[in-house]
Amino acid sequence: MHLIAEVLDAQLKDVNGRNSGRIDGIVLELRNDKPPRVAYVEISPITLLARFSERFAWWYATFDRRLGPGRGTPFRIAWSRITRSGPTLRMDLDVESTSIMALEDWLRDRVVSHIPGN
Amino acid sequence: MPKPLEITLGIVTSVGGFLEIGSITTAAQAGAGFGYQLAWSVLLGTVCIAFLVEMSGRFSAVSKHTIPDAMRERFGVNFFAVPLFVMLGVSLLVLAAELGGVAAALQLATGISIPVWAVPVGFIAWGVLWRAPFSLIENGVSLLGLVTIAFAVAAVKSHPSYIGVAHGLLPTLPHRDSAHYWFIAVSVLGASITPSLYYFYSSGAIEEKWDSSYIGTNRAIAAIGMGFGGFLSLAVLVVAAHVYPRGSSIDHYQQLPALLSSLLHRTGFWLFVAALGIACIGATIEIALSLAYLVAQGFGWNWGENLQPHVDARFSLTYTVLIAIASLLVLCGLDPIKLTNISMALTAASLPIGVFPFLILMNDSSYLGEHTNGHFGNAVVLGISVIAALLAIVSIPLEILGG
Repeated sequence: MHLIAEVLDAQLKDVNGRNSGRIDGIVLELRNDKPPRVAYVEISPITLLARFSERFAWWYATFDRRLGPGRGTPFRIAWSRITRSGPTLRMDLDVESTSIMALEDWLRDRVVSHIPGN
Repeated sequence: MPKPLEITLGIVTSVGGFLEIGSITTAAQAGAGFGYQLAWSVLLGTVCIAFLVEMSGRFSAVSKHTIPDAMRERFGVNFFAVPLFVMLGVSLLVLAAELGGVAAALQLATGISIPVWAVPVGFIAWGVLWRAPFSLIENGVSLLGLVTIAFAVAAVKSHPSYIGVAHGLLPTLPHRDSAHYWFIAVSVLGASITPSLYYFYSSGAIEEKWDSSYIGTNRAIAAIGMGFGGFLSLAVLVVAAHVYPRGSSIDHYQQLPALLSSLLHRTGFWLFVAALGIACIGATIEIALSLAYLVAQGFGWNWGENLQPHVDARFSLTYTVLIAIASLLVLCGLDPIKLTNISMALTAASLPIGVFPFLILMNDSSYLGEHTNGHFGNAVVLGISVIAALLAIVSIPLEILGG
């Protein structure tokens, strides 16, 4: 598998087929006398922004910490929980049980739910 | 829905949704300034958008991807950021121009000034997006847009020289006022080849769950729908060549109702107001939705006009914020005609930024299998986009320097 071409920036769906963001980063584990292997993938604006500028990433992380406990660091999923489905990657988790949707949930609860007809 | 009915509806909505403030204003300026001589720019723009729409529908039907989705996946976020920000910036100006077009129609009808209408019009466009399903937006608004057929009626009533129009379809060099000639040509091209249109179409194909069996339907809709739409743009140019003295310029939207009122009298005035208002509100809704699709698909969010806003909060709030910014620009008193001209020229200048990567995707068999582009389609789209961009890069500074 070509990690950059086939994994990085690929669409991730959850166990129910719901869009769960894109693979923003890949975490490799270095092993003695063995080739490195993929340990985790990261789905987070912090990782995404770090690909442009560490400063942008730091600013977003500062904002992200306000969204709830445990926030402010990129969300990681073990590579063993990811399977390939065509060009899309699928995780064996419900996205609602992760912190990927923290911003979506925050906007829904704080903004959208107060607008009639939502 | 049976396929023939689906094709008919697709064609009708394409025709009804083709004209908007950009195509009406730039075609009118072309006709008023240079008679039939710039008819070629309408033809060139129509051919290019027909190819692009066909490609985007085929891409989504076969690959099950939208364009922004595949662009991020194929080229990575560092590359995707360039077309994303360029298109957001330019299309936001176009969005403000369309919103200003609705406000201008309301000013013509009521006498109340444009800035007063900025917020109510923005609110109506947002309300439709917030509540209406995709099919109602695509079919309902575009069907109302069929009122723009009034321009074809006026063109026939103006008894044009059909040989003169045919001559105008062949590009010729200007005899005078070269900078303005090329600037208007570029604006016409930018008004016809709007990236938001084929991005919207690509997302629509996914929303309506198209598959490979829709390739023929898609081709018919793109060719006939865009063809008739381009014919309406040409009708505006023909009417303008008849109504305004040769060499005149259209700098104020108050000059535009003469397009229909001079030939259809009082009825013509109200038909123009209706055509401008409906075409521009349709374009406002489509552009706002198209930009929200672009952002949501690029970042892998939940998206869909058929979903309730609380299910795709980021997507819904994206079009909400974009409409609010566009309303603010109109509220600040930006002139709709100036905004239209500059946004259409910038659209032309930025065409290759979106078109090049799209063409690479259209030639990638991992997405399209046996349905990749032919050489002819590639050459037409690439050629027209590069010509439009080069003309824009040269003519925009000349037009600004020339006042």
